[in-house]
Amino acid sequence: TLCFQAFLQMCNLPVRVVCRANAEYMSPSGKFPFIHVGNQVVSELGPIVQFVKAKGHSLSDGLDEVQKAEMKAYMELVNNMLLTAELYLQWCDDVTVEEITHPRYGSPYPWPLNRILSYQKQWEVRRKMKAIGWAGKTLDQVLEDVDQCCQALSQRLGTQPYFFNKQPTELDALVFGHLFTILTTQLTTDELSEKVKNYSNLTAFCRRIEQQYFEGHDKDSSTTVAARSAKRSLLR
Amino acid sequence: DVPVLISEDTVISQPAKILNFLRKQKYNADYELSAKQGADTLAYIALLEEKLLPALLHTFWVEAENYCSVTKPWFASRIAFPLSLYLPGRMSREALNRILLTRGGPPLYSLIEVEAQIYRDAKECLNLLSKRLGTSQFFFGDTPTTLDAFVFGFLAPIYKVCFPRVQLQEHLKQLPNLCRFCDDILTCYFRLTVLGHSPAGQDTADANLQKLTQLVNKESNLIEKMDDNLRKSPQHPPRKLTTLKLAAGGEESSPLNRLSP
Repeated sequence: TLCFQAFLQMCNLPVRVVCRANAEYMSPSGKFPFIHVGNQVVSELGPIVQFVKAKGHSLSDGLDEVQKAEMKAYMELVNNMLLTAELYLQWCDDVTVEEITHPRYGSPYPWPLNRILSYQKQWEVRRKMKAIGWAGKTLDQVLEDVDQCCQALSQRLGTQPYFFNKQPTELDALVFGHLFTILTTQLTTDELSEKVKNYSNLTAFCRRIEQQYFEGHDKDSSTTVAARSAKRSLLR
Repeated sequence: DVPVLISEDTVISQPAKILNFLRKQKYNADYELSAKQGADTLAYIALLEEKLLPALLHTFWVEAENYCSVTKPWFASRIAFPLSLYLPGRMSREALNRILLTRGGPPLYSLIEVEAQIYRDAKECLNLLSKRLGTSQFFFGDTPTTLDAFVFGFLAPIYKVCFPRVQLQEHLKQLPNLCRFCDDILTCYFRLTVLGHSPAGQDTADANLQKLTQLVNKESNLIEKMDDNLRKSPQHPPRKLTTLKLAAGGEESSPLNRLSP
């Protein structure tokens, strides 16, 4: 969710986040988050970016063709590695599944619906992991991949404030969303967030975006980590 | 499970592990790259896997005409009976499964909509690669790196295999720098196949080339002897005879000479 909020904030568009138990069903693509503007509903980052661009707001107009190609490539890297690793950790690591994911995912529903729905989701995710070849990976290998991805992002960012120097783009919003989530979500182990913390420029990047676009705007920005993660969990 | 690298007693599968093994043996195409270029490599590889691979899988394994007339007979000819009856079908089902699980789902409800989307994405990916390559010979300057190998691996099958349904190939042919990129790598590193030999004829091509080299060497020895005789006899003015040298094959000491794609 955060990457979308960040993106919309960067475009200077006001946004209100609402939690709904049936978010998956309200979304036109079954995936969330999605935005509800007037009588239109748009989901997923790609279409949202296009929608916002059509309304005259764009973050990547200042980039040349090669930079745009690079930006798209890095966005795919984040989707390919970070997102898949997050899904793996949530749904394929038995300890995390039992202690965190199942209770969280099923929390809006009464028994036995909560168990049925979360098992169904788990089965879906595991099928997908098998198709792309991640089912055979161990947790250590997945953490290796996360580390490799963070290293690449860290090297690309270098000492710049944003990935394409002075102006934030969709890539910055996407990376911020994922990294901030990893850093602030409570899991059974801290290994995942430790991987990100190894790269000081990435943690500085997250802090900078949080300060610039979220503090002050969000009245209860002093909300604790647990509450933020609980809010995010309902939307996952 | 392919690809598989067999080195002495070690057997390694999966591209990532093979690359790691080669790096430990001090074979590293990315040695000269900066940290940022290394990061770019990872990003572009992710782009290829997310945006180009589904359409590639579809062209080879799901598109009925392509699969039945080219892919299935080709793969079946290289697999032992009775696996040749079963494996291609299984690979086809796995490809469709992968496409639907990763790219299917609402708002795309039918296979036709998914197909349209994956081909749109693949064409966009090809455009992005073309822009990134520009007028350089390789993606990071004048020497090839891991990224060039990956891109070549994805593009060459699209470029060279003659399918009945070729929308992706037609799009690729409109990007001349990518076609030039493929042709360059084929001529430099896969010299034998540019002569038009099919994968099945590779072994016979090698044997023929060896025979030809031997014949030509014999001829050139004979000509040298004749040349000597002529020079020794005073009646005729000395003539310069150029000895035949075979351009490909024997002369080169590159170990890549014998690679098949």
